[in-house]
Amino acid sequence: MAVKAQPRKRRSFHSSRMIQSALTHVILLLFVFIALFPIYLMFNAALKTSRELFQSFLTLPTDPQWQNFGFILNEQGYKGALYNSMILSTSSMILTTVISVLAGYGFAVYRFVGKQWLFLLVLTGLMVSETSVLIPVYQLLQDLGLLNTYGGMILPQAALGLTFGVFLMTTFFKDIPRALIDAAVVDGGSDLQVLRHVIMPLARPAIMSLALIEFMWAWNSFFFPLVIATKQWLMPMSVRIIDFMGRFTFRYDMIAATTVILFTPILILYLITQRSFHRGITFGALKD
Amino acid sequence: MAQLTAQIYLGAVGSRVDTGGSPRKDAGMARFNIRPYIFIAPALIYLSVWIFYPILNALVLSFFDSPTGRSRDYFWVGIDNYIKLLQDDLFLKSLYHNIIWVLLSIALPVVLGLLLAVLLSGRGRTRLIYASIFFIPHTVAAVCAAIVWRWIYDPSIGPLNWLLETIGLAGRPWLADESIVLIAVNMIGSWSYYGFCVLIFMAGLQNISPELYDAAMIDGAGALQRFFYVTIPLLRNAITFVLVYTIIGSMKFFDLIFVATNGGPNEASTVVGLRIYWHSMREGRFNYAATMSTILTIVILALSVVVIRQIVTEDEED
Repeated sequence: MAVKAQPRKRRSFHSSRMIQSALTHVILLLFVFIALFPIYLMFNAALKTSRELFQSFLTLPTDPQWQNFGFILNEQGYKGALYNSMILSTSSMILTTVISVLAGYGFAVYRFVGKQWLFLLVLTGLMVSETSVLIPVYQLLQDLGLLNTYGGMILPQAALGLTFGVFLMTTFFKDIPRALIDAAVVDGGSDLQVLRHVIMPLARPAIMSLALIEFMWAWNSFFFPLVIATKQWLMPMSVRIIDFMGRFTFRYDMIAATTVILFTPILILYLITQRSFHRGITFGALKD
Repeated sequence: MAQLTAQIYLGAVGSRVDTGGSPRKDAGMARFNIRPYIFIAPALIYLSVWIFYPILNALVLSFFDSPTGRSRDYFWVGIDNYIKLLQDDLFLKSLYHNIIWVLLSIALPVVLGLLLAVLLSGRGRTRLIYASIFFIPHTVAAVCAAIVWRWIYDPSIGPLNWLLETIGLAGRPWLADESIVLIAVNMIGSWSYYGFCVLIFMAGLQNISPELYDAAMIDGAGALQRFFYVTIPLLRNAITFVLVYTIIGSMKFFDLIFVATNGGPNEASTVVGLRIYWHSMREGRFNYAATMSTILTIVILALSVVVIRQIVTEDEED
């Protein structure tokens, strides 16, 4: 019985396999479309005149309006906002990465009293949001005279990514073969030498991942800058856009151009360093 | 030699006793070593100043009030702020919206991410290309996404209604309709989040050995059975991570809703983050806002602990 039924069964298995494969393709392509279409619309809208955009948002621009970007950067004072975004993201990236590497070294290489508890304490930072700490942070910055300063914008921002950084660095450093570290120590290497000559070269991809992710987070950050940088000269791009939206309510071409200016640097960075991004983001999830 | 190396390695990894020659690494109970503390001190001090102290300070502030907005002449009011909060319909509504947001985010991008990751798991290099593309929306700032989607949703000139009307469906004022606004905004969040979930689940699936699937197939398990009895249990770590991350993210989010609707229409999309911002920065009622912050922290902690414990106990039962 079973033997007889086999050929028929296999054929139907084959054709159902093909349907399945076709269906999989359709679904995957649908989600590629969903991911990219809004981004296409955004770039497209930025390069059209307001009138052309009104006629059709689908077709490519007949006469790309590259000067939209120049207009926003130069005449609308967006250059300053771009500069502020750079300062904010670069500084908080460096601050977070350096502190995370040091702490990662301490947690991964040494055994010490209270290690588990201190690590757990650091991890609880993951559950804290900007909105949970807003008021005390605001008052602290006020007391320190740091409202509306670069420092005031950078310091709390760096803290938000620090938990993730310490966690990522510790898990990565733990994977480095212990024998390598011990060999360096036997050779009389100091902590900083071990860190520089053993850990850093091996963990460079991990550190790179962390730096990129922290940069992206700070670049895209909104809440703290919104509250802390209320003077226009200090606002990073993410906050200036809001002000811009108010003034150009129905100029979707102009508004789209500002979003393109905010998004493009991160897009380029991501496209160049995808693997680094992926490594950093997936690593934490899979170690327990 | 090899034995010695192995011994050193095991000594470092497995037990408290170090066999290495360095006295510096003898950080057992007997000898106190200051070095590790020096390395972790910057992180702990930094987090204490900007995260831990603010959390505790918010808790303290929640038991006080001030005579006028922004003034710091605090006086003790006990749990008055909490009582007020429980009677504040707008706050309860916003908390409810946060919970809805958690559920929507799990139902849509998380489940979708898992399914897409499974669909991708059989593929070679193209898998990575798909995952990279799905992840691109996650790199778009929430502010940007909100602005672009506001235009897409625009009832008169937006692409979405145009598309719907072209295929014969009725367009809607997506962000102005109280009954659907929360779902419409969640779509924006889902758009930027599903690629992130795909990435995590895909990495998790890589750790599952194909032999397990072969074994299940030989035992006669269908695709669905393989999914529920092989994939899901073995993805436990990744699932826990994504669920906790989703809960935390959904409870604290602000940027997207602030720009997309600012809580409107008629507070139908307001969330706790918006209330905190409103009461503190606009009205100057810092103590009241700090009470909300404290509640938010407690809710996030409680939900995360519930999820982690649920999954960990399931683990132990196996």
